[in-house]
Amino acid sequence: MHPAVYKVGLQYLSGDISGGNARCIAMLQAFQEVVKDYSTPPEKTLNRDMAAKISSCVSFLRECRPLSVSMGNAIRFVKNRIAKLPMTLSESEAKAALKSDIERFINEKIIGADTVIVKHAVTKIRDGDVLLTYGSPTAVEMVLLHAHELGKKFRVLVVDSRPKLQGQLLLRRLIKRGINCAYTHINAISYIMHQVTKVFLGASSVFSNGTVYSRVGTACVAMVATAFRVPVLVCCEAYKFHERVILDYSICSSNELGDPNAISKVHGREDINYFDGLTNNANLKFLNLMYDATPSDYISMIITDYGMVPPTSVPVIVREYQKEHLL
Amino acid sequence: MWRRSPSFILDERRSSNSPPMADTTRGPFQNPDSISAYYQTRAAHHGVITSDWLAQAQAAVGGVTGEDQPLSSDNQLGTEKSFNVIEEFNNWRKQPDLAEAVAAIRALAAVIRASEASTMMELEIELKKASDTLKSWDKTSISLTAGCDLFIRYVTRTSALEYEDFNSAKSRLLERAEKFGEISCKARRIIAMLSQDFIFDGCTILVHGLSRVVLEILKTAAQNNKLFRVLCTEGRPDGTGVLLSSELSKLDIPVKLLLDSAVAYSMDEVDMVFFGADGVVESGGIINMMGTYQIALVAHSMNKPVYVAAESYKFARLYPLDQKDMAPALRPIEFGVKIPTKVEVERSARDYTPPQYLTLLFTDLGVLSPSVVSDELIQLYL
Repeated sequence: MHPAVYKVGLQYLSGDISGGNARCIAMLQAFQEVVKDYSTPPEKTLNRDMAAKISSCVSFLRECRPLSVSMGNAIRFVKNRIAKLPMTLSESEAKAALKSDIERFINEKIIGADTVIVKHAVTKIRDGDVLLTYGSPTAVEMVLLHAHELGKKFRVLVVDSRPKLQGQLLLRRLIKRGINCAYTHINAISYIMHQVTKVFLGASSVFSNGTVYSRVGTACVAMVATAFRVPVLVCCEAYKFHERVILDYSICSSNELGDPNAISKVHGREDINYFDGLTNNANLKFLNLMYDATPSDYISMIITDYGMVPPTSVPVIVREYQKEHLL
Repeated sequence: MWRRSPSFILDERRSSNSPPMADTTRGPFQNPDSISAYYQTRAAHHGVITSDWLAQAQAAVGGVTGEDQPLSSDNQLGTEKSFNVIEEFNNWRKQPDLAEAVAAIRALAAVIRASEASTMMELEIELKKASDTLKSWDKTSISLTAGCDLFIRYVTRTSALEYEDFNSAKSRLLERAEKFGEISCKARRIIAMLSQDFIFDGCTILVHGLSRVVLEILKTAAQNNKLFRVLCTEGRPDGTGVLLSSELSKLDIPVKLLLDSAVAYSMDEVDMVFFGADGVVESGGIINMMGTYQIALVAHSMNKPVYVAAESYKFARLYPLDQKDMAPALRPIEFGVKIPTKVEVERSARDYTPPQYLTLLFTDLGVLSPSVVSDELIQLYL
C-alpha cells in the first residue's frame, strides 16, 4: 500500500477529512502520488496492472470509510482514463498523461464547478434575505462569502444538529468575515422557518429521480421549508450526480452508520448517564445515521456547474455529463 | 439577543433602516418612468392607448437610450451600432403580426448587413455587442432576450459556418435570420395542429390574455368544425379579452366575456384553460400577463387542465423562485378616477406561474410536460 493512500485512509477514519469535495480531492491527490511512484513490473502491461493497483487502494479506502457517490464517480473516471491510455505511450508519458487528467478533474469538475455554482447562486440572494443553511456545506459557504463580498445585505441562520455540530465551524468562519448570523438547532426549525426567505443546502449526491442524498436532517429541513413555502436551493457539483434511482429512504442498503456512542452519550456531561448498564441490552439499539434522502418534491432548484435546473432535469445532465467524461 | 424576543431574526430586520420588503416595493416608485417597453408594445398592438401613456412611453424610451450611450461611448463605433440596432428593432417591433423574438433577430440581421467586419471573429464580437445593447435596452422582454441568445448561439456554435469563406457565411446567417420569421409563423401552425386533439366537441375553454398562438388554435379548431364555447376574461387594463372576444365572434365561435374577478365563479363550467406565454422559464413555469397565476391556481384547485401555448423561442434561461424574483416590468394603469397620491398602485404587468399548476405546454417541439422545458434548454444552450 502506498503511504499517501494509507495516510488519507486514516484521515477518513479519524474524521480529519470530511465533506464530499475534501474527501474526493484528498483521494485523487493520493492517486496522483501512487501514479508518480508507480513502475510497471516486468511481464505486465501498465493499463492492467495500474488498474489493479488503484482497485486495491480503493478497497483499502472503503475499509476506512464507505465511499461516497462523488468518490465513486471520480474512481470511475480514473479507471476509465487508465483503460483508455494508448499502448503506444511509454511508461513516463502514460504516467504524466494520467496525472494531468486527474489534475484536470480536480480543477474542472470540483474547483471550477464550485466557482460556477457560486456565480449562479449569488444571483438568487437579494438584500434583506434571511438564508437558512444546515450543517456545513462547502459550496453554500462559498456562496455566502461571495455574496457578502459583493456587498449584499443578508442574514444567515445556521441550523445544526447533534452529534457532529459541524454548523459551529461554519458559523465561526462566517462570523469572522463579518456576516450577520444566527445559530439554532434543528429542533427549533418549525419555529424559525417563517422568518426565513430562502434555504440553501448542500448535497452528498443527487440521484436521477431528483432525490437529494445529504447529511442526515436535510430532508427534515427541506420538508419544513416546503410546508412554509420557502424555496429550497440545493448546491451540488455535477460530478456528484448518479444515475441510480432512490425511492425509499433505503437505510440499510447504502446509508452509513455512525458511532452509536456518539448519540448515547453527551460529551462533557457525565451526569447524563441514563443508558448506563443498558448499552449491551438486546432490546436497545442506537441508530446514528449519516445521510438521508430528500424527495425531489421538496426541492425548488438544484444549482450545478451546468446552471440552475429543476430536480426533474438531473437525468439529462447525468446523460450529457457522463457521456462527456467517459470519453 | 434571544432574551429580548424569541423572534430574533425579525427583531434585527425591524431595527435595520431598510426593511427588505420595502426595497422591492419602493424601488419601482422612485422612478415612475421605468416602464416596460415590452408590455408597451403589447398594449400598442392591442390598440388601447391613451395619449399621456404614449407621452410617458416616449419619455421612457428617451431616458433609457440616453443612459445607454455613455456606457458604450468609450468606443465610437459601438455607439453608432447600438443606436442603429435599437432603432431597427423598434421598426420591426411595430408590426403587430411579428413576434418580438423575430423582430430582435431581424434587427441583428440588419447589424450583419451594415457591418464592415472582414472576419468571422469581428462579426461575432459586433453581434454580441449589438445583442447586449438590445437586451439591456429592455430587460423586461423575455422574448427579446431569448431571441438574441438563440441567434448568437446559432452564429457562434453552428459548425456549418466553419468551412466556408467569410462572405458566404455572412449570407448564410442573413438567410437564417430571414427564415426565422417564417419559422415563427410555422411554429404557430404546428402548435395549432397539435392542440386540436385536446379540444373536444362541447367543451368550454377559458382564455386569459390575447395570445396570437391561442387565437390561431381557436381559429383552427373552428375551421375543423369543432363545437366549443370560449370564456374570455376581460383582461384589465388592456381589455385583451374584449379584443379576443370580438375576433372570435367574427368567426362565429360562441364567446362569453367575464370580469377578471369572475374566474372562480365560472370555473365549474370550464373544461380547460388556455394561456399564451410571454416567456417559458427553466423550471417549466411561465411568465405571462398579470392574472395568469391566480387563474391557474383556481383551475388547479378545481382540477381543470391548464394548457399553455408557446413557441419554443420563448424558452428562456431564467429561473424565478417566486413572484418578486424577476426584474419588475411596470406599466401605467388607468382606474378611470383620480387616485390619491398616498395610495400605492401595483403596476406590475406580469406574474410567474410555477410549473405545478400547468398541465401541458403546446410548443413547436411537441406537446411537453413542464419538466421537459429544462431538458430542451439544457440541450439547446450547453
